Amino acid sequence: MTTVLLVEDDPGARQGLELALRRLGYQVRPAETGEAALDGIRQGAVDVVVLDVMLPGVDGFEVCRRLRRGSDAPVIMLTARGDDFDIVGGLEAGADDYVVKPVEPRVLDARIRAVLRRLARADSPVETHGELVIDRSSLTVALRGREISLTPTELRLLLVLSGSPRQVFSREQLLDLVWEHGYLGDSRLVDACVQRLRAKIEIDTSEPRYIQTVRGFGYRFGPV
Amino acid sequence: MRARLIAAFIVVALLAALASAWVVTLIVPYYPSLGNLIRPALISHLLGSHVPGTGRRPPAAPDAPAPEPATALAFVLVAAGLLLATITGLAFAASRRVLGPVRRLARAAQQMSGGDLSVRVEPAGRDELAQLVTTFNTMASALQDKVGELEVMEARARRFAGDVSHELRTPLTAMTAVADILGDGTTASADGTAAARLVGQEIRHLNRLVEDLIEISRFDAGSAQLIAEDTDVAAAVQECLRARNWAGVCCTVPAGLTARLDRRRFDVIVANLVGNALRHGDPPVTVRDSIQAGRAGGSELVLEVRDHGPGLPAGAIGHVFDRFYKADSARARSEGSGLGLAIAQENARLHGGRIDAANNPEGGAVFTVRLPVH
Repeated sequence: MTTVLLVEDDPGARQGLELALRRLGYQVRPAETGEAALDGIRQGAVDVVVLDVMLPGVDGFEVCRRLRRGSDAPVIMLTARGDDFDIVGGLEAGADDYVVKPVEPRVLDARIRAVLRRLARADSPVETHGELVIDRSSLTVALRGREISLTPTELRLLLVLSGSPRQVFSREQLLDLVWEHGYLGDSRLVDACVQRLRAKIEIDTSEPRYIQTVRGFGYRFGPV
Repeated sequence: MRARLIAAFIVVALLAALASAWVVTLIVPYYPSLGNLIRPALISHLLGSHVPGTGRRPPAAPDAPAPEPATALAFVLVAAGLLLATITGLAFAASRRVLGPVRRLARAAQQMSGGDLSVRVEPAGRDELAQLVTTFNTMASALQDKVGELEVMEARARRFAGDVSHELRTPLTAMTAVADILGDGTTASADGTAAARLVGQEIRHLNRLVEDLIEISRFDAGSAQLIAEDTDVAAAVQECLRARNWAGVCCTVPAGLTARLDRRRFDVIVANLVGNALRHGDPPVTVRDSIQAGRAGGSELVLEVRDHGPGLPAGAIGHVFDRFYKADSARARSEGSGLGLAIAQENARLHGGRIDAANNPEGGAVFTVRLPVH
């Protein structure tokens, strides 16, 4: 059973979402504050975090930033629609996706499923691109011999891009392939994730070797 | 104004000069020595030595003859000229003194009507004009204070609408989360099921209303941001229609048309206009798109949404973009929030463009979006 750490300070919203998620078959661990959420992460066994941005004390961005230091559990932010500051702040803090409040349970369900979707393990040989080694069967990535820790979303983005080296993917295509969003018109999700991925796998992020920008079109992997 | 004033001064000066000349000609014959002493010296000095009758004779000769008529005439003319010059100079100075402050006041009033309420005129002197300037300044200050007060009140009212909407969102999150459970058929009676469905439907309506209120309060607060990127217009329009399952909309958008747009906001514009056409007009609803030469010289992206219904009522055309405007006040509440077209217009303005509403001569309403293409 999937365990959701639900961080929401408003009792009504927390109870409502907890009830809805339970009925959808999730195990829910509610947390009222940012501190409680970080405690919950330390206790382990959390598959996905649903995190409200507006929290008393340590806010959602800070919680996300801190839990990213020790955990690769995917984070879905609960934000206000169109509040660009919220969205950008959440993505920069390391969130994988966001949903807008008030969220319909089936939408939240679909997003949780998408960030948790098991990556198809292929029996392909280990690929080597320059100093980057991608193992599609064990789902591990190593740079200069050292294994790098990637969140599920970052890993999926890397696998999609490196699966077709030199092919240019538009932001919309990547949104569809990695996040399984319908139409959102919001490419910042992709840009934020690309930046985080670059920070982990590029030697020099100002001159990326692996994840290259094709201006006006999107991104491509290589040529290395 | 100044020209007329100066002309009047010149006429007065001429009359004065003639009068004084006449007086001089009356007096001079009785004081010939005085006349001999002054006139030739003065005239020869002013007009040189060619003045007839002055010659090179010593000016103070006691046996000098009476002045010739030509000399008298020259003297009169010179005196008149001098007087004229002096008085014109005086008139000029006086008009400057009067017209300067008036002109400064006029300029300040013009600036004020242009919207700059901070303009003041430097007071000078103690006359009536200075008093007028002081009154003007007092009036400007009072006006500025009043307008400032109104702006604060308006901002407060708008912020209040935004705050209320934000506050409503939290309980709505809880209600939205559990609304589906109510409609699951767990209630036994048919009435209970109908009630549950109604609650779910109204929660969705309330959600839309609150979202739109929050969106419009962002425009009011000036915090709406444009995140523009190169956009394939045809793809954006088709995505917008597809995402909402509007299959019946006839779309004529040439492929390969690109413009720098905020994707989300453009989507909101198209969705609101097409949704409005589907709700209030009759099918077929058509969307047409082109690049045309704009009024300001550059080119514009022109998007036209047209329906084939009865069109907009005569009095409604100027008001369709007003918030919560309803063409027919008796009409039942529609499923929209009443803010859709106002939001679409704000989004177009944020792009530097606008939306116009009109009726097609062949029937149906036409909404035309014009966005500048840089």
